[in-house]
Amino acid sequence: MKPVRIAALTTIGLALVMASTVAAQLKSPDDVKTGLRLLMQVSNDFKRQITAKNFARVPREFKEYTESADAVRTAVKDEPAAFKAKVESSLKAAVAAYQKVSDMSSTTPDADKLMAEHAKAVTVMNALFNLFPPELRPDPNAPAGLRGAPKN
Amino acid sequence: MLAPLLIPLGCGRGQKSAQKVVDLYIETDGDFIAFKTDTLTCPTGALVRLTFHHAGRLVTVRHNWLLTRADQLEALSKDFAANDGVVARDDPRVITATPLCDKGESVMVQFTAPSPGDYPFLCSTHPEDMRGILHVTK
Repeated sequence: MKPVRIAALTTIGLALVMASTVAAQLKSPDDVKTGLRLLMQVSNDFKRQITAKNFARVPREFKEYTESADAVRTAVKDEPAAFKAKVESSLKAAVAAYQKVSDMSSTTPDADKLMAEHAKAVTVMNALFNLFPPELRPDPNAPAGLRGAPKN
Repeated sequence: MLAPLLIPLGCGRGQKSAQKVVDLYIETDGDFIAFKTDTLTCPTGALVRLTFHHAGRLVTVRHNWLLTRADQLEALSKDFAANDGVVARDDPRVITATPLCDKGESVMVQFTAPSPGDYPFLCSTHPEDMRGILHVTK
């Protein structure tokens, strides 16, 4: 195996170990899980309102999204500064992405365009989810009321 | 023979007070869009006193508890999805409903349990996700 490939694999391995270490040391995993599940729940509501062309209600969903983001912030408040900074950066990006959808619902009430923007926002939100271990991430395939609920 | 005279005088009240009273409790699954316990049971004809608690604490969203008939569920849900969950007082499809309530609050509704059968309940602001069944027994 070439040295470059070995180095790359080592780097990936170290990153995974570091991520799992952070996960194992999370001080409030249940609160984190709740916060992430709420973000997913509200994101799905965004989609529902857009699909139903209830554009006037999208800004209200955005308010709920910011409250869910605050729940995640609170859940990681006692974590190491470096991890908190990563979470904050991803949270800001996710909130900004959903704000764009919300703003567009007033200026460009077009379901197709809003759905496209929403899909981009989901990608940004998934990057936030990826900072956390899989067992804390919401399950996008679970029934609506159970998204992110324990699987047992 | 005296019954026609006694009832107008208030002696028929005894029949009403004999109605069985059933207290039911249901709440949201915290801030999530789900009822915590999605099945309730009561006997037909009982006076049901239902308390609904909004157990959320993080997200500002309102919920309620509304009882309908199985054959009206989908049409009602569709209407709620379109009208922001507004429940018309005179909607014949609605058997009973609590007012909307905010996180941390509880609301109550009192009604006489309908004829035996399974009756769907839902939250008018989340009609597709927050659902359950009230089993009315004989």
